[in-house]
Amino acid sequence: MRWILFILILGATFATFWVPDAASFQHPELARIIFFHLPCAISTPLFLFFGSYLGLRYLRSKDKQWEIRSVAANEIGYVLALLTMATGMLFSKTQWGAWWQWDPRQTSFLLVLLLYAAYFALRMSFTDEKKRADVCAAYSCISAIPAFFLIFIFPRIPYIVQISFHPSNTIITGGFDRAYSIILSTLFVLILVLCSWIYKLSVRAGLLDLRVSELYGNMETDGSGPAPTGVVRPISLSDKS
Amino acid sequence: MNSTWQAEIGAVFRKELKTELRTKSGLFSSGLFSIIAVIAVALAGYGERIDPTMGAGLFWVTLLFSAMISLPRAFVSEEEAGTGDQLRLLARPHAVFWGKALFNMLLMAATSVVLSVMFVVFTNLKVDHLLLFALSLAGGCVALAISVTLCGALVAQATNRSALAGVIGIPLLLPFVAMGVGALRVSLGSGSVNSGLISCGGLYAFALLMGAAAPNLYAAIWKG
Repeated sequence: MRWILFILILGATFATFWVPDAASFQHPELARIIFFHLPCAISTPLFLFFGSYLGLRYLRSKDKQWEIRSVAANEIGYVLALLTMATGMLFSKTQWGAWWQWDPRQTSFLLVLLLYAAYFALRMSFTDEKKRADVCAAYSCISAIPAFFLIFIFPRIPYIVQISFHPSNTIITGGFDRAYSIILSTLFVLILVLCSWIYKLSVRAGLLDLRVSELYGNMETDGSGPAPTGVVRPISLSDKS
Repeated sequence: MNSTWQAEIGAVFRKELKTELRTKSGLFSSGLFSIIAVIAVALAGYGERIDPTMGAGLFWVTLLFSAMISLPRAFVSEEEAGTGDQLRLLARPHAVFWGKALFNMLLMAATSVVLSVMFVVFTNLKVDHLLLFALSLAGGCVALAISVTLCGALVAQATNRSALAGVIGIPLLLPFVAMGVGALRVSLGSGSVNSGLISCGGLYAFALLMGAAAPNLYAAIWKG
């Protein structure tokens, strides 16, 4: 399965060089970064809001597995946001002449990045796992409010649309030709599948880690032997032997 | 628990007020910060007249930072004094949150009045639409108080809480500050009244959303 995915992504990447230039850009031949920028930009809110939803589920049930899922979704969302920012800056340099333009869309995405960077800063500041899970889930939920505003409302305010360089409705208004749209859609689906696969792996690793820590805890509290030395024995040994 | 919601909220509010009146640290630090920040802004301007958009931006950044300095104390001080557990036993989480948030609103209102007077005096900016100015400031104080109260509650038990409150609070409030600037610049005479009213509406919508979400999230982490 993963080999098929790998071959498909490789094929789609090669296809981005084969497709004819999109005439709607200032430098059409240099606009191909859009094939990676746009799918990342669309996938980012999907994962970040999914992470907030899972955080809410954790707060309602206090089941640790939801917290593991929420962290995994937020991590992938954050990596996608970083990729969106990096590819967006490349696009800005090639099309508009500068790495950073203070374009409203660039700025709003930067604020989303800061918002979720703060989430990870918060995660690092708690030693108590239970407290960390509670607090970070709550922050993940509350940060969905400004993130929603920054991603969906702010860029569509008429005044912002007027002053922004950012091409807002290129896909909706049919700004790309058919081949361009097909490859863009294919890459979007493939990136989404790839991220979902990484998410599943991350959740599985997190759940295994949880299971191991539960077992480790049981081994520590089970029996009345000497104080734990940091060495975990795979089997129970009697002190009287 | 036989007491009513109002009684519990009132009790927490009075407790906060009495503690503040005893030490006066929150009001003094945020008020003094506002004064220092305005003088710094006026000095940095080197006697030049600041245009309304820049003035509105500086005003809101000052207000945001003075909120971040004083408001998270509400929960942080409980943990430092070791009274957090007692509060958990005595009152419902929503009542604790609203009691502290109401007190923070009062603190924020006092700070914003001091800041407004100082700002107008030192920067020579003229307020063209007083009602819009007052409305945006009132909405701003409510949203700032609610959001920063929640941030204070989140970081209260963290290892580096004083720095962390700003780290998590400022990104959360930046979109809201952008709306505040949008409303204030119009009240200072730049842009159309219509766009100012839309921004002001955005401020109240943000305050409403925060007011609906924050107490419930606080209640979810409260007993932990």
